Amino acid sequence: MRPMRVVADVSGLPRTVFGHRSLMWWGTLGFIVIEGSTLFICVASYFYLRRNFSTWPPEHVFRPALLIPTVQAVLMLASNIPMRWADRASSRMDIRGVRNGFLVCSVLAVIMTVLRWFEFKSLHVRWDSNAYGSVAWATLTAHGTLLVLEMAETIAFTVLLFKDTAEDRDLAGASDNALYWYFMTGVWIPLYVVVFLSPYFM
Amino acid sequence: MPIDVGRRPSVDHESVRLRLEETWHQPPGLWGWLTSVDHKSIGKRYIVTAMVFFLLGGLEAGVIRAQLARPENTLLGPDAYNQFFTMHGMTMMFLFAVPVVTALGLYLVPLMIGARNLAFPRLNAYGYWVYLAGGLFLYISFFLNTGPDTGWFSYVPLAGPEFSPGKRVDVYAQSITFTEIAALVAAVELIVTIFKNRAPGMTLNRMPLFVWAMLVQAFMVLFAMPWIATVTQLLAMDRLVATHFFNPAEGGDALLWQHLFWFFGHPEVYIILTPALGFVSMIVTTFTRRPVYGYPAMVLSLLSIGFLSFGLWVHHMFATGLPQLGQSFFTAASMMIAIPSGIQIFCWIATIWSGRPRFSVPFLFVLGFVVLFVIGGVTGVMVASVSFDQQVHDTYFVVAHFHYVLVGGAVFPLLGAFYYWFPKVTGRMLDERLGDWNFWLLFIGANLTFFPMHQLGLEGMPRRVYTYLQGTGWGDLNLLATIGAVLIVLGMVLFLVNVVMSLRRGALAGDDPWGADTLEWATTSPPPPYNFAYIPVVEGRAPLWEQSGELPAVAGLRTDVRDVLLTTMLDAEPDSVHRHPVPTIWPLLAAIATTILFVTLIFTPWGAVIGAPLLLLSLLGWGWPQGREHHEEVMVEQQG
Amino acid sequence: MRLALAGSFVQQPHSVLNPASPQARLVDRLWDAMYVTSIVVFILVVAALLWAAFRHRDSLEQADDPAQRRPLRTVVILATGLTAIILFVFLIFDLSVGRAITTNPGNDALQIRVTGHQWWWEVQYRDSLPKDWVTTANEIHIPVGRPVVFELRSADVIHSFWPPSLSPKRDQIPGNPNSLWFRADSAGVYRGQCAEFCGYQHAKMAFLIVAEPPGEFATWLAGQRDTAATPTDASARRGKAVFLASSCVMCHAISGTPAGSRIGPDLTHLASRRTIAAGTLPNTRGNLAGWILDAQAIKPGVKMPPNRLSSADLHALLVYLETLK
Repeated sequence: MRPMRVVADVSGLPRTVFGHRSLMWWGTLGFIVIEGSTLFICVASYFYLRRNFSTWPPEHVFRPALLIPTVQAVLMLASNIPMRWADRASSRMDIRGVRNGFLVCSVLAVIMTVLRWFEFKSLHVRWDSNAYGSVAWATLTAHGTLLVLEMAETIAFTVLLFKDTAEDRDLAGASDNALYWYFMTGVWIPLYVVVFLSPYFM
Repeated sequence: MPIDVGRRPSVDHESVRLRLEETWHQPPGLWGWLTSVDHKSIGKRYIVTAMVFFLLGGLEAGVIRAQLARPENTLLGPDAYNQFFTMHGMTMMFLFAVPVVTALGLYLVPLMIGARNLAFPRLNAYGYWVYLAGGLFLYISFFLNTGPDTGWFSYVPLAGPEFSPGKRVDVYAQSITFTEIAALVAAVELIVTIFKNRAPGMTLNRMPLFVWAMLVQAFMVLFAMPWIATVTQLLAMDRLVATHFFNPAEGGDALLWQHLFWFFGHPEVYIILTPALGFVSMIVTTFTRRPVYGYPAMVLSLLSIGFLSFGLWVHHMFATGLPQLGQSFFTAASMMIAIPSGIQIFCWIATIWSGRPRFSVPFLFVLGFVVLFVIGGVTGVMVASVSFDQQVHDTYFVVAHFHYVLVGGAVFPLLGAFYYWFPKVTGRMLDERLGDWNFWLLFIGANLTFFPMHQLGLEGMPRRVYTYLQGTGWGDLNLLATIGAVLIVLGMVLFLVNVVMSLRRGALAGDDPWGADTLEWATTSPPPPYNFAYIPVVEGRAPLWEQSGELPAVAGLRTDVRDVLLTTMLDAEPDSVHRHPVPTIWPLLAAIATTILFVTLIFTPWGAVIGAPLLLLSLLGWGWPQGREHHEEVMVEQQG
Repeated sequence: MRLALAGSFVQQPHSVLNPASPQARLVDRLWDAMYVTSIVVFILVVAALLWAAFRHRDSLEQADDPAQRRPLRTVVILATGLTAIILFVFLIFDLSVGRAITTNPGNDALQIRVTGHQWWWEVQYRDSLPKDWVTTANEIHIPVGRPVVFELRSADVIHSFWPPSLSPKRDQIPGNPNSLWFRADSAGVYRGQCAEFCGYQHAKMAFLIVAEPPGEFATWLAGQRDTAATPTDASARRGKAVFLASSCVMCHAISGTPAGSRIGPDLTHLASRRTIAAGTLPNTRGNLAGWILDAQAIKPGVKMPPNRLSSADLHALLVYLETLK
């Protein structure tokens, strides 16, 4: 090994950092790009397949029901409030605030997962009826996978934060989890518009 | 950051090294191997696995060449032949080319940027295991006569449930998903590692060109691979649960598959090529003893290759009857990518011209690369033309073209890279004389194999035919191509002999056998588990040439736990200290759960019910913090 | 301009380099231009590379003269500019060829529908009256000098219609009808082959295009409109009975008989065709017999099942099929 001479000391650098200074934030961003692409591909396929039909939804298919999907969309948007609250608390190192925010979000995530089940029913079409049904189901399923993953992660973090061994690092982790939450809930809004509203005007 | 220039000079901190060794070493034995999170250990097995698949894919190509050596040969029937050419394509693309360049990146990037490891070492381990599982799954299926047989592109409806009953195409779809997951996690790791783990002072414009190439490649993977991963899932759903994405009878669309596939498929070629351009830049620098001419132009051309590669996919679909105007756009874009590729070549030639080249084996491979790549490049410009492509599309002309690009453009630099970095990885030199033979056999063999294929395509020989009739006049050139393939096989045998012999009795390499300029040559060969005793500080693009004696370095990281230094993204200023994970079995368990999920999904949708909870559990186990120590004894690297 | 390795024998013209239509000729000219340019580019680049490499081979002197860098820069910029110019010229050339090929064929064009099947080609000449429609397989007759529009369809998977000497290829995609047109300049028999991988017998899915003077073409077409000749001699009559009583009728049609299935090639004028099994074998009695008895031995995977016929029945069937001119 080449001999080295020490020119600086880094022992004073912080060990818990937030946002783009942390590795996990970047990693989360990477997975957001990957999963965002997947959802984008679903939407692209949706519009591509639209061209093969004269009406949308196709003949003999009812338009989707809007009640539950709209409740879901509102809930997704609203859930960003407690998550943002927890996120801010984490950067203040306020573990109580983070705990409370995550507790609320865990409950919301479970509700949203249950609602997703009813959203499938609201489509009024089966995946194997026609290409319209296939792509609508696929989009909901792709996003549903993210929802379930995020639910599991949020609940896991909540449990972790309520334990005595919680550390500063877990607060930074909670903040990175919040980034993913913003993505998962935010991306649902355009998907909701495409899957549930567009059959009314396309 | 407090820069304490007063505290010098250096001492050989033997105690620091011992403690680092203790902290970073991989546990012994099988358990240590299974739980390792060291990028070098995983990188090595990644490279070896990919090379094994390379040999398998090469053997398949050999059998294909034997079948086509003469007209109406009966060595393979259509059933076997279709599996062989599909396996050859899938192996080379998904199990060899992308993994091997990625693996070299995973091994080399941390060393080149002066880091202790990758940003997400457990993810790295997971990626390798998933890749291995995908490869094994594909080959086990092949040996059970369930190998995919609809081509690496598997166009629907041929690959759909109606025309490909059975499980062969499901094997295709799922094994791709495995390898794409591996490629995607590697891309995330490489991007974050390059952004956050660079040595202090290694600003973006001081990064070695190979690191730039890997960065561009990782971004391309990030934006391209989700397409194939998604589209193969849509195909799997059409086959498993009767969705209709690709079924025209229910509003599905056969061309949707082609768009989604080629939106991945074209960048794929550049995903393989870009790291190869990086290899070439590094080798040219070292063997001409000159920094590559036109660094900014080189970086910009890498970036524009990355961007442009996403605007070319339709040139694989020129024969599908898309509107003329749209096609012209893709012709222009396809031709345009020749400009940045040309800039790379011109800058290398300029570097060689102003330098003092040493004709070692890596440099020979670079020269061979330029010759072959130019041939592949000019035929690439030809097939960008819509009307000419409509003549030669899906003929042996195209086979010739992309083998010049992939063998000449990627395999030659890769082998050059092998000869170049082998001493760093193993501590021993590869034999130069065998290397010369290795090179010349491959160079002559590749030309003999692939050049006649241009003519075959022009004479009307389509691709993917298991045989051809007497009287087509294609026999002689095919025989010539097969003779060339024999030379390639001989060349690769010599390569293997060289590797095996050199591992045992090769000349000892020392830290820096080539007199190179980048940081990986500052550490020992092979590097210790912690890579560098101190994190070096970089003051220019060629740190080892600029600092003839001692390298400047930082101290202050703890030696009793796995501390790594994070720096800022653009300027690489020290920013924070990050605790690195210790060896763990969870990535392997997660990979096994992933495998259970994907393989059971081939047979029943209920596979999700079995596999998904397992995967979720393993991810929780992975993420759950372990061994929290509240009262730890703090040991910090001493300062002299 | 031909690659050095040219000159091998091709039975029927089946080569990009052997054009017999304005369309194929234009592409051939484009190829010539690109080929010559590429050779020059290749020689220049490799010469520059070798010169650069051998100039100071293994020399250890250190002489990094910064003054050398200025001409270097000019050369790199010039080379890049030249690359861009060459590409631009190619682009313009390509666009003009593309335009010329895709112009309107005109009103007197002959329409032919070619449907790809695994692994043969169904050929239909449609007319205003369905009774005048002609259906044949694997052999496409066209008049010389008259534009022919091909409506390209597929009955199953994607195929690609490609007679290299006459036209660039076009895919036949289920659910996505395509078309192309060309005009044959000289009489002759041209070979074509499926160019999109379509399963087991992609390799043996060829067709012939028979370009003949308009008069001959009209005679041929009129002949194809006739229903099948009624057999006169005893052996052929027996052969017809064998045909109608065996599994042949499950897939094949012979007009004027009860056999009307469209799954396999129409056999009404089988004996007038030059090849069988989609351009795989010459249409001889021996080959036909082999094909009927065990098509799988010739084209493994083909949809035609093996047939067990007594040698007398087989003989009669062959006699009958040979009357289908």
